[in-house]
Amino acid sequence: MSYKTELIRSMQYLSENDKVLFLGQSVKFSGNAIFNTLEEVNNNKKIELPVFEDTQMGISTGLALSGYIPVTCYPRFDFLILALNQLVNHLDKITVMSSGKLKPKVIIRTSIGAKFPLNGGPQHTQDHTSAMKKMLKHIDVVKLKNSKQIFNSYKKALNRKDMKSTLLIEYGEYYNKP
Amino acid sequence: MDSKQLKNFELDIKKLYEKKKIKAPIHLSGNNENQLIKIFKRINKKDWVFSSWRSHYHALLHGISEKELKKQIVNGKSMSICSKKPKFFSSSIVGGTLPIALGVAMSNKLKKNNEKVWVFIGDMTYETGVFHECHKYAIQNNLKIYFVVEDNNMSTNTPTTSVWGRKTKKLKNVIRYFYKRGYPHHGTGSWVLF
Repeated sequence: MSYKTELIRSMQYLSENDKVLFLGQSVKFSGNAIFNTLEEVNNNKKIELPVFEDTQMGISTGLALSGYIPVTCYPRFDFLILALNQLVNHLDKITVMSSGKLKPKVIIRTSIGAKFPLNGGPQHTQDHTSAMKKMLKHIDVVKLKNSKQIFNSYKKALNRKDMKSTLLIEYGEYYNKP
Repeated sequence: MDSKQLKNFELDIKKLYEKKKIKAPIHLSGNNENQLIKIFKRINKKDWVFSSWRSHYHALLHGISEKELKKQIVNGKSMSICSKKPKFFSSSIVGGTLPIALGVAMSNKLKKNNEKVWVFIGDMTYETGVFHECHKYAIQNNLKIYFVVEDNNMSTNTPTTSVWGRKTKKLKNVIRYFYKRGYPHHGTGSWVLF
């Protein structure tokens, strides 16, 4: 199974859960690689959003506080860092702030931009995984280095009983590998 | 709760703080009792209320008991009072609650329920970019969310008009009231040596 095929299978699996919603820019309309992994997902499970990364993360947290499990999509890691206030100061801290009363579970998808065959350059290809691991105290950070990890990682993120959120980091360069 | 009960609660917290029983910052409410009592008559017990670092009055008026609230404050959480029932969340980051409140309002629309979302912000937050994008999105998508601007023209001790020059006019779904802060930005006004 290829990297992309496994992502498509994982997204289909997630979409079978009534609580799951997919949101972000280009979840309904083409424009990035993540869209290509969501084409099989029914449009009524998708919420296309404007470009407002931090607000998107907050919306995801709000939906999760109301019982949904949002899969919030950031096509490049470089874009995700625009959502750090909501990610680090809020989603990551809410369980501690509320002494465990509030436990929003969000699945965050992002991707390290490809450098081959086209190099996206310094604003589109950064890998901030180690910084995220240092900043996030209560959100699991999972790097999807190969196709074998993908399905089980998303399955765990969806079904985990501890209600933690998970940040899953994909490799854009692997999407086109057979 | 009436105005006197609200004032007495804060006086009680003031005394506890000055006796060094609270080992964390506190932000006391005051001088806005009547305005808030009137606003909370519109807020249903099932609605979500979002607040800021100065949240004691909002929490009490939304139904968090004095005992529970005092417990959270003494435990150092004055700036982040939270509750599942009644539904209440506060953040000590400027504008931090706005996108989360938007998500809850979106959820209410998806579930087709009649619950509303109320977000209490200060006048400096009213000028931020995050407020304006959340407000625009909420109005365009017919979300049942109301923004209450508590205007004391102060952010910490910076007068809002001195840095912005002018203030945003009243917008749709915005309730705005003016008052003069009853206590300093944080603490009680007395020097407490911890």
